[in-house]
Amino acid sequence: MKRRRVLFIQLSQIRQLVKKFALVILFLLAFVMMMVNKTDTVLIDKTSSVATSVVGPVIDVLIIPARLAADVYDYFKGMSLAYEENKQLKRENRRLRLISEHARALEIENALLSRILNFSKPPAEKMTTARIVAEEGDAFSHSLIAYVGKNSQVEKGQVVLNEKGVVGRIDKVAGAYAKILLLTDINSRIPVIVERSRIRGMAAGDNTRKPKLVFLPLTAELAIGDRIVTSGVAGVFPPGLPVGEVCKIDKRDVRIRPYAELDSLEYVKIVSFEREEEASEDASGSEILRETADE
Amino acid sequence: MLPDRKFYGKRPMNDDFRETLTLYMQRLLPLLSSLILLLLAYMPFFPMAFHPEVSLICVYYWMLHRPDVFNLFSVFVIGLAADLISSSPWGGNVFELLVLYVLVGYLLKYVNGKPFEIMWAGFVLSCLVVQLAKWFVLSFYYSQFLPLGMMIFSFLVTAAVYPLVSLINVFVQNKLMTDEA
Repeated sequence: MKRRRVLFIQLSQIRQLVKKFALVILFLLAFVMMMVNKTDTVLIDKTSSVATSVVGPVIDVLIIPARLAADVYDYFKGMSLAYEENKQLKRENRRLRLISEHARALEIENALLSRILNFSKPPAEKMTTARIVAEEGDAFSHSLIAYVGKNSQVEKGQVVLNEKGVVGRIDKVAGAYAKILLLTDINSRIPVIVERSRIRGMAAGDNTRKPKLVFLPLTAELAIGDRIVTSGVAGVFPPGLPVGEVCKIDKRDVRIRPYAELDSLEYVKIVSFEREEEASEDASGSEILRETADE
Repeated sequence: MLPDRKFYGKRPMNDDFRETLTLYMQRLLPLLSSLILLLLAYMPFFPMAFHPEVSLICVYYWMLHRPDVFNLFSVFVIGLAADLISSSPWGGNVFELLVLYVLVGYLLKYVNGKPFEIMWAGFVLSCLVVQLAKWFVLSFYYSQFLPLGMMIFSFLVTAAVYPLVSLINVFVQNKLMTDEA
């Protein structure tokens, strides 16, 4: 009886103590979480993946009425602009046909020259289209959640594009959802090259709308408007994908304006390199092209 | 005459259970509505820079209006949820909301029961302080000063949408909660 009372007193004392210092304990917990975040990335990765797989479907459901309303608005807006848009698309179609014929001729020429030089091609890429479900961005982080489907081959590190250029890379994959780290996020680093002068550098996000261009040589020849594309260094991103253009050049600060409008993304493409077996299967397809070139 | 045994034995228990459940649900409403608003704020319909920190508004509102059902634990849960949803480092949002919790504790006597404008002004002040605190801690975390411009813009957007989010919270408080909760 006495022991039970002592135990009860001890428990109530502990409870009172916890209540008294709850705020301090929770502050300490917040700092511990930050430290764990900095060191133990496996634990954080797993927990964040679980959170993404829970949050993704919930937002996907919450979004339905708003998406419906937006679709109806877009439909009527599109109807009113259909005539003008049709005329413009016809013009664009004529122009693209000419470019397509030119590109085909160049492709054949390229295949021929590559064969003469015995050039080994980089692995072919495969695209997966994904719908944006949530924008998790705020002043301190820039990321998105996309629905990629259950059987997609999306993996961490793959490059994400829209029709204008690079958007970012896959940060986490959780079930049918993937978290995309935008190229403006402070944790984003993308190896790039200046298209005109072939100078290599790194597009580094810093949570502003215009990422920095870092690791450039001091004598780098740069001009406002220079196109920046992925360099393909490190083998994560395919080379030649448009990232943005140089918009500011200071002594210590070179900034890029991304081509992709990161604030209004609806659908994105996720690029993955094909595996060797798949590439060899497709090689038979390229044989046809070679035969055409031989002719 | 005694009522039917079946009726006598079960009906009051069911009513009690239902009442207790309703009471608990009502007590959980501030936390649940805050979590739903937090999720809604991440919908991809507005430019990323325009995403307000809804968690700050909810914590401030419920701490002022129903501190009896919105305690430190609720603040921690909302912070943790915000950390899990966003891609900012874990603990950042928890820290931010805990700072707000402390601040509101001090502000309570100056803004509680005052006109809406005073409450709004109190929020603007608290929001600025907690966002600066978060900016400082995250700058320390990343070992570089984060851009202040984005933080200030986020602060302005959050301060501007305070009346709208408060209106939703007023609806939850007046229409879905009873005084007993």
